[in-house]
Amino acid sequence: MKRRRRSTIRLVSLALLASCSTKEPSDHAVSAKPDTGTEKRFKVALLTPGPISDQSWNGGAYQGLLRIRDSLGASVSHIQTKTPAEFEEQFRQYGAQGYDLVFGHGFEFQDAAKRVGPEFPRTIYVTTSSSTSGANVAGMEFAFADASFLAGLVAGSLSKTGILGVIGGTELPPVKESFVAFEKGARAANPSVRILKSYIGNWDDVSAGKEQALAQIGRGADVIFQNADAAGLGVFQAARDTRRALIIGSNSNQNGVAPEVTVGSVVIDLPHAFLSVAREVKDGQFKPRVIRLGTSSDVVSLVLNPDFAARVPPAIQHRVDSLRTEMRAARFSVQAGER
Amino acid sequence: MTTGDLATFLSAGVRTATPLALAALGELLVERSGLINIGLEGAILAGAFGALLGASAGGLALGYLAAMGAGVVMALIFAFFVLRVRADQIITGTALTLLSVGATGTMYRALYGSGGAALRVPTSGSIPFPVLSRIPVIGPAFFDQPLVTYIAYGLACALSWWLYRTHAGLALRAVGEEPEAAAAAGIRVVRVRASAILAGGVLAGLSGAALVLAHAGTFAEGMSAGRGFVAIAIVILGRWTPAGVALAALLFGAASALQFAFQAMGWQVPYQLFLAIPYALTLAGLAGGVGRSRGPAALNRAL
Repeated sequence: MKRRRRSTIRLVSLALLASCSTKEPSDHAVSAKPDTGTEKRFKVALLTPGPISDQSWNGGAYQGLLRIRDSLGASVSHIQTKTPAEFEEQFRQYGAQGYDLVFGHGFEFQDAAKRVGPEFPRTIYVTTSSSTSGANVAGMEFAFADASFLAGLVAGSLSKTGILGVIGGTELPPVKESFVAFEKGARAANPSVRILKSYIGNWDDVSAGKEQALAQIGRGADVIFQNADAAGLGVFQAARDTRRALIIGSNSNQNGVAPEVTVGSVVIDLPHAFLSVAREVKDGQFKPRVIRLGTSSDVVSLVLNPDFAARVPPAIQHRVDSLRTEMRAARFSVQAGER
Repeated sequence: MTTGDLATFLSAGVRTATPLALAALGELLVERSGLINIGLEGAILAGAFGALLGASAGGLALGYLAAMGAGVVMALIFAFFVLRVRADQIITGTALTLLSVGATGTMYRALYGSGGAALRVPTSGSIPFPVLSRIPVIGPAFFDQPLVTYIAYGLACALSWWLYRTHAGLALRAVGEEPEAAAAAGIRVVRVRASAILAGGVLAGLSGAALVLAHAGTFAEGMSAGRGFVAIAIVILGRWTPAGVALAALLFGAASALQFAFQAMGWQVPYQLFLAIPYALTLAGLAGGVGRSRGPAALNRAL
């Protein structure tokens, strides 16, 4: 209920502001290359569920949109949305405006894409973390499990208390899947490890994110894996204040957010993933399908913080590297499906 | 539960209660003057954004000042529309919250780009109270907190005295109960109400500053996360008295801390149940305890 009310607020306020804001990046159409004039401009839009300043899930997608603009000379547009009603409305808006490609960034967008897609057959709708596909609807699945498993392996070996924490925004399936794989990795390093799991309940309450982390640290967690976007900044802050825990980030490379306490990040190379899809669409080569991206395509990977690499025991470092090679060759995969 | 857990729980409760108590004490003044400012949520968010701008430009002190300034700006807009234009209070307050969510988000992106402010905002550390902070368990929880928490304690006490022991406090209560009678007695109703609104704005701004400068160390769009609406409920739960409001804020803070603690204990219960604890408790308090009490008679009456 709370989320829904606040999203309504956001929707109306955006509408209010549309008339008075001059520098709302949500709606800019910037040209990187001069218009050829003869050819219709390639138009790409992005819907994110949260603010692009989160240095995580939404920020990475926005970087992807900018890369499409810069590399393909596309005209781009971004808007932040929250409720399913808004998802459909914005999908329709972009369809009606003749956009060639519209990204809905997150699991929660897939139903809206499925419904709106048939109404605008000339627009291709791609939703991330989803497994839908249709005539002009595609899903992009990130194999979070492999990299999360490696993160768990490192966390389990670094922990002195034998207690790890995971903190998420809400229990979305990809988040849950990532946490399950993290737990498996941690057990591979230390079979008796304990995992504390907390959800903040939203993705933007930084203060609550910090408190969830402090509560876990109070219970002895000394390595915390977080996946909570903007609210996750509070998790880093808790580690910085107490100096009693290390953090592993998610979605974007968060090693620079608080380098002194960050072991590494499970990074999705969203810019790369978005650009390759956009390139296919622009060239008319795109076939609607579920695009699976993971370790073998190097889109999802565990990136260790260079400052911390020295503190990871060589044996574990070696194990991570060899597992990564196995994963790249698709000889090893975490069965994240089983719970 | 060990004493260590108890101390962790209590100090989390006090930390969570601080911004709520500040905002609710401000709203208490507004409601005692017979008005209701639903724009509190927006004022807290504006305060948080002001704190970010001030602290980035000139350190902590400027951060707190700018936050209160941002709260005052929101209060001035509310006062203008409600007292001068005589617009509906609920609609004005709602519009203010919408304005704040949109305006802070837009300005944040314009000033900080897509990277945001990260964790570069300075934070005020906690100041242990001599002697008191060494009391086992409750010492660190209540007396090893940032300055702004002590300001909240002081305000609750000062307002209790001011509201019931001074002429100005009496005037405020009179305006909230019987504005016509108060006016006949020579009290300048509009001036009293404007002052209450401005004081509410200062405290809402301070509440936002507490979030950014005493806790999170960063700004995020929508980071007030409904605290303004919770604070309005806290005013009712606290029966429109400063001490009651402070206790109600502490209760909500403790309920939130309980939620954090329960989740971190690793019980196999759906997390949504834990997240609902503070709201369920507030609702139970409102339904059970407040039935007998009565708000200011002129509350939300058309001007």
